[in-house]
Amino acid sequence: MKKIILLTLIVCWIVSVSGWSRADDFLGAPVIPGGEQISKTKKRLELNSEKTHAEVLQYYKKALEHFKDIKYRDWKDATYIEDDGNLKWHSITISKDDANGALVVIMKDSWTWIIGTLILRFFGVFIVLLVLLVGMSISGAIISRSVKKMEAKKTPAKA
Amino acid sequence: MTANEILDMLRGILYTTGVFNFHWNVIIMWGVASFFIYLAIAKKFEPLLLLPIGFGIFIVNFPLVPMMGISADGNRHLLEIFYHYGLQWEVIPCVIFLGLGAMTDFGPLIANPKTLLIGAGAQLGVFITFTGTVLAGFTLKEAASVGIIGGADGPTTIYLTQHLAPQLLGPNALAAYSYMAMVPLIQPAIMKWMTTPEERKIRMRQLRPVSRQEKILFPLVTAAIIALLVPSVMPLMGMFMLGNLMKESGVVGRLTETAQGALMNIVTIFLGVSVGATMSADNFLSWKPLFIFGLGLIDFGVCTVGGIATVKIMNLFLKEKINPLIGSAGVSAVPMAARVSQVQGTKYDKTNHLLMHAMGPNLAGVIGSAAAAGMFIAMFD
Repeated sequence: MKKIILLTLIVCWIVSVSGWSRADDFLGAPVIPGGEQISKTKKRLELNSEKTHAEVLQYYKKALEHFKDIKYRDWKDATYIEDDGNLKWHSITISKDDANGALVVIMKDSWTWIIGTLILRFFGVFIVLLVLLVGMSISGAIISRSVKKMEAKKTPAKA
Repeated sequence: MTANEILDMLRGILYTTGVFNFHWNVIIMWGVASFFIYLAIAKKFEPLLLLPIGFGIFIVNFPLVPMMGISADGNRHLLEIFYHYGLQWEVIPCVIFLGLGAMTDFGPLIANPKTLLIGAGAQLGVFITFTGTVLAGFTLKEAASVGIIGGADGPTTIYLTQHLAPQLLGPNALAAYSYMAMVPLIQPAIMKWMTTPEERKIRMRQLRPVSRQEKILFPLVTAAIIALLVPSVMPLMGMFMLGNLMKESGVVGRLTETAQGALMNIVTIFLGVSVGATMSADNFLSWKPLFIFGLGLIDFGVCTVGGIATVKIMNLFLKEKINPLIGSAGVSAVPMAARVSQVQGTKYDKTNHLLMHAMGPNLAGVIGSAAAAGMFIAMFD
């Protein structure tokens, strides 16, 4: 009986490990099949797909349809797929220049991005209020001057 | 009719009552509701909101009550209707901003526009809390909605949370309004810790008078700049500036009176009760609301630090120094935070009145927290 259980466990382990190793993904992000891997580190996977930008995008839209918090940004030279949830990967960039196939880059979710964007946005608040400060100062100066002129005109008239 | 049939009938009637569908976790929610009703009535902490919120929590935490949900034939229940059309459609926070605009005198901010920067600095906690919330396992959208609590602006918190993480609406709104009410308890210790006795006694020059023309132009200039730079918060800021233009123009007295009075009161009732109604035991009883309350307190503290630190940095470059006690008012919470600055100022120099000076950063905080909310919306939309 013990042998049977042990054998079953080994078979299950082999099946699961082989299934895992067969899965085409990078940090849980689907990797489009048929692409030529250009570089791969722990944080970044870059591959050149033989498909066009539209085909790659269609593949990812289907592959990610069940994922929550996925956002598609249409940039000038690429489509940027971003995860705002808790997935291990942060973004998939698909280049629009697909003369030799679309370039696909998958990035690991990182604190650099979060901290970077937060710092930029915090300073963004300063910039918004700084622009408002400049706008108020200019409009205030113009109005004060015109009010003074109007008052100056009124005073001799009264006199 | 047999005895069994009568018993079946009785059982049928009894099972339509709440008593037989009772679950222990609602008792905890009654406690939560009672606590907020107590704060509102006995302590007078933000009673206009905490009372309807508390009652909303209380009333939805009874089994089978058709208050917050959709009936079998597809009709929305009463509070669900308020919630759907008021909050899900993001109407109520904007209407409240209209009323706030109609109540607000931007004179102190126009007279001393430098204080706008304090309102920006006081958003520090919003961004720091975001990081802490992500570390705790919240999603980025949830983290943004929790972070904005430190901005101490109820409608902005509700607007952003509804937009990004509606599942956290109840805890976020409660945390925001609770801490806004507790500003006089939270801020003084930080103000004392961050300032020297000499700094607390800095006297500021009396603010110049602001002409009517300047006050009329202010909402137009602000609306234009916000629309250009952070368009995503224009529903809030646009209504805020409309209310203020109505007030300052002086030609639509009836509209201004309605916006700051009857309309504001009506939407406040709907806002409070529908926010409370989102807090059923199933939604609320988890570690997340407790965490939000804990982090909200830190958020408020860091925002206060941010405001005071901004004044100190500005003082390095200014000839006429600013009293750093007004920095804490940059966290919005109008006019409570400005009053705290006044009280603390007179504590160290009885003739040093800081109220009007503190109103500048206080109002800048409203614009700053809306700008921060806009930054977050732009990040995810």
